[in-house]
Amino acid sequence: MSVEYVIADPVIAGVAARAAIAAPGVVRLEPGLRGLVTAWTRAARQRWKGLDPAPADGVRVRTVDGRLSVQVDLIASGADQAATVGRSVQRAVSRYVTSQTGLVVDEVSVSIMDIEAATR
Amino acid sequence: MAMTDYELPCERDVEQVWERLDAVGAGPADEHELICPHCRAARESLLALREATSELVLEDEVPSPDLFGKIMSAVRAEVRRGSMVRLPTPEPGFVEISEQAVAAVLRYAADTVEGIRARRCRIRNDGAGVVEVELTLAVSFRNATGGEALSLVRERVTAAAAARVGLTLAKLDLLVDDIFGDTAGDTAGEPGE
Repeated sequence: MSVEYVIADPVIAGVAARAAIAAPGVVRLEPGLRGLVTAWTRAARQRWKGLDPAPADGVRVRTVDGRLSVQVDLIASGADQAATVGRSVQRAVSRYVTSQTGLVVDEVSVSIMDIEAATR
Repeated sequence: MAMTDYELPCERDVEQVWERLDAVGAGPADEHELICPHCRAARESLLALREATSELVLEDEVPSPDLFGKIMSAVRAEVRRGSMVRLPTPEPGFVEISEQAVAAVLRYAADTVEGIRARRCRIRNDGAGVVEVELTLAVSFRNATGGEALSLVRERVTAAAAARVGLTLAKLDLLVDDIFGDTAGDTAGEPGE
């Protein structure tokens, strides 16, 4: 008997978002317009079902030909080097998604939309 | 400073675009609004957002207090998405940063030189990691003849690009296009964050 596990993209996005926000030098994730609208509709839908959605704003997950790619948009802290923040998010997301879901992430891409003075 | 408000690359404000949204739609747009690609991009984003959220507006739910900030930040990010610079990374995937964020860092570095105020920062980027920067400056009367302040600007801007962003500049052009007196110059050392 073979058992197949399917982990939906929003789950991966939620896990990736958690890893990204905890990475050093990340102030917050930036959902962008599409992200805001998707998050609202998703939140509304889940509220009807009585669930609170895990935040995944600013993270998009795509599976093409069995290759899993994650895209993270974020605001970085001015106290850290932007390139270093980007690399540590790439590593953190890839590692955390694998440890939480067992899936191998083929690539993680990071877009730093803005740099802000660190407040945390 | 420009890092925390909602300024577009054309120096207009997203809030201003939002307020003028209906006016521009109805006809009386000013010349800038007709030709500026940044204002147009922001306007289109805001219109799309308004349309997409009109259903949500009908719900009797109270919007969260930081909603306005979230929307403005999202619109600004949307405008920036068009011009990104690749940063080096050994990991699979890419790391990129918006030209506006790089410009803010470089302007800030130039501002730290006494008697120098950074104005406009243009970034040219061929997509393969070669980045050229043109920085427009105003100098104080005291520095008017001094190449010393300018070489300090060059040094600090290059250092900031490497240390704060992780970029090596292929070219840095400094353009002095204005001079300011010291009486007005007292506001030059704008309190940095």
